[in-house]
Amino acid sequence: MTLEAAKLAAADNLWGAIIPELMLGCIALLLLGLEIILPRKHHGLIPDVASAGLLGTLLGLFLNWKSVMLGSETFSGLLYHSTAGQMMRAFFLVAALLVCLLARLTLPRQPVPRVEFYHILLVVTAAMMLLAQSNHFVLLFVTLETLTIGLYVLVAYHRTQPTSLEAGLKYLLMGALSSGLLLFGIVLLYGVAGNPALPAHTSQGLNYAELARFLAANPNNFVAALGIALVLAGLAFKVGAFPFQIWVPDVYQGAPTPVTAFLAVASKAAGFAVLLALCGNGGAFSPYGWLVTPVLTAMAAATILFGNLAALTQHNVKRLIGLSGVSHAGFLLLGVVAAHHIPMAVGAVYFYLFAYLLGSFAVFGVMAHVSGPDDAEQELDHYAGLAKESPFLATVLAVGLGSLAGIPPLAGFMGKLFIFIAAFQSGARVLLAIAAIGVVISIYYYFGWIKAAFFESWQPPADATEGPARPARSPVGLLTGVTLGALALASVVIGFYPGPFGQWLTMR
Amino acid sequence: MNLPSLLFSGFLILTLVSALGVVLNRNAVNAAMCLLLCLVGVAGLFVALDAYLLAFLLLLVYAGAIVALFLFIVMLLDARGDARPSLHRLPLAARVVAGLLVLAGVASFLLRGRLPSPEVAALPAAGAALKPYAYQLFTTYLLPVQILGFLLLIAMIGVIVLSRKFVPIEEGS
Repeated sequence: MTLEAAKLAAADNLWGAIIPELMLGCIALLLLGLEIILPRKHHGLIPDVASAGLLGTLLGLFLNWKSVMLGSETFSGLLYHSTAGQMMRAFFLVAALLVCLLARLTLPRQPVPRVEFYHILLVVTAAMMLLAQSNHFVLLFVTLETLTIGLYVLVAYHRTQPTSLEAGLKYLLMGALSSGLLLFGIVLLYGVAGNPALPAHTSQGLNYAELARFLAANPNNFVAALGIALVLAGLAFKVGAFPFQIWVPDVYQGAPTPVTAFLAVASKAAGFAVLLALCGNGGAFSPYGWLVTPVLTAMAAATILFGNLAALTQHNVKRLIGLSGVSHAGFLLLGVVAAHHIPMAVGAVYFYLFAYLLGSFAVFGVMAHVSGPDDAEQELDHYAGLAKESPFLATVLAVGLGSLAGIPPLAGFMGKLFIFIAAFQSGARVLLAIAAIGVVISIYYYFGWIKAAFFESWQPPADATEGPARPARSPVGLLTGVTLGALALASVVIGFYPGPFGQWLTMR
Repeated sequence: MNLPSLLFSGFLILTLVSALGVVLNRNAVNAAMCLLLCLVGVAGLFVALDAYLLAFLLLLVYAGAIVALFLFIVMLLDARGDARPSLHRLPLAARVVAGLLVLAGVASFLLRGRLPSPEVAALPAAGAALKPYAYQLFTTYLLPVQILGFLLLIAMIGVIVLSRKFVPIEEGS
């Protein structure tokens, strides 16, 4: 690399293109600084600073939505700025804001430091935002590792509870294995793309577009196919798709509730943003549709069936939501499969993710109010009689669960409908039938939860020293009440009237 | 067979044998030593491919720092080879299926994974010099380097959070 080339590359580092991520990084550092300079009695302000920073970043993002960078590459092709990328940025910011809200409810119940939680949360959010816009395997791997390492810490955050530490260790081991698979796949692809004896070889094999060009010129290379399979396996670990879902129930149960929500929604969405960039129409792996489509199809079918069947027998709500999250990953994979042929499927996946965000955080918000100091033990029985004691929470729970199950007037139904239409158009009939069976099964366990909240009454155990007593419910604060109400309302409104939002997402 | 390819094969065998040693050794210290040998073998492979910088970095960072760290931790934990917990035995069918799958994978890789190999001597040796590498780190890959800074920061903070005893703040004091 000559000095001139270096100067050119340096001139392409347009830091203005990633102002939201830079802001999050600066706010994260500011939080640590505040912890040092503020007197201890004012430390309660620090979570507010984090939330305000996230909110400000979100507003700034909306104000500069159509930035000049849209549709162009910056940082020598490391980043590609697109409308989808902007949408995922907003998605992760909203998710992080809601996690902050949940953390303010649940973190004080445990003897754990608070500031570091928000610091890591902000850094992880920034990494996710960059991941969704990455156009290069180096940036993909670095951001993915940042977010995974941050999540290892967050999952084990309740360090006085053995379940949380166990979850952290399991996530660490599984995450390390999946990162290894992913890296091995990337290296194979880079190596084979740089082989000078093959047609269209390139020294920039880590760039998605260059890699797609190389793969198109070598449609049947075994080593490239192996690399693609390994990359897909590594990503399947991150989204929790069958057969790489074994870590999901234990980690979801052991992690603090806000972190479970973050894992379920934001981490999964990050994985799907990458999968869409790689496997969608015109993505890096699109010339290898003969391999990617059958692999993802089989994975989607198995994931939907496994997630729903395994969730049927669960009594712990965190395990239930984890396993149902596996089945949601299956539905999203169905959208990714369809996205290979149908451009509308990409929008359908994004719509599904937004509907999943609204529904999931409504449910997690209620869980944060119902759960007690022992974060891992949240049983279905604890919800008995919720409708009588707190009709508001019970309604939000019913709307959230109904949306996740895909009950007609709610947002989750529209999400599933869009994905099923895309799958129908792409001709994946068998997969569609399996998905329909999955939906029917899921209604059973989601309604078991709703039934517990509405139609069962709490009976204290006959012997008070035996079975665990039910934790007391936290009162609903104004801010959390308004937010939970808004989440439920949005689920209803978007379901009835997807309108411009749905059109914009699906008709691109 | 000329000398360079003989050297390459020699390092290859050293790497594979010592990698097997890492996995099969019951004693953690011996396994770490095998890992050291394995890394030396990989560094030798890099030298044989004219990638001197990579070989140097590998020895410096992995063999020098990381394996030493492993050894420290192994000695702190005082892990004995004989105190290995017995794992759940898989059913015979599962073991046979797993073994067959591994065999099929290795066989298909050996049969179909061949790439046409160009004349290595005619290629420019990338990764041999420090200068282009450094230029790239500070220009093309500046963003990933900055992100790595944050990664190391949260890793450090994570270690502190998970290991330090927490003293709660008395509200309103």
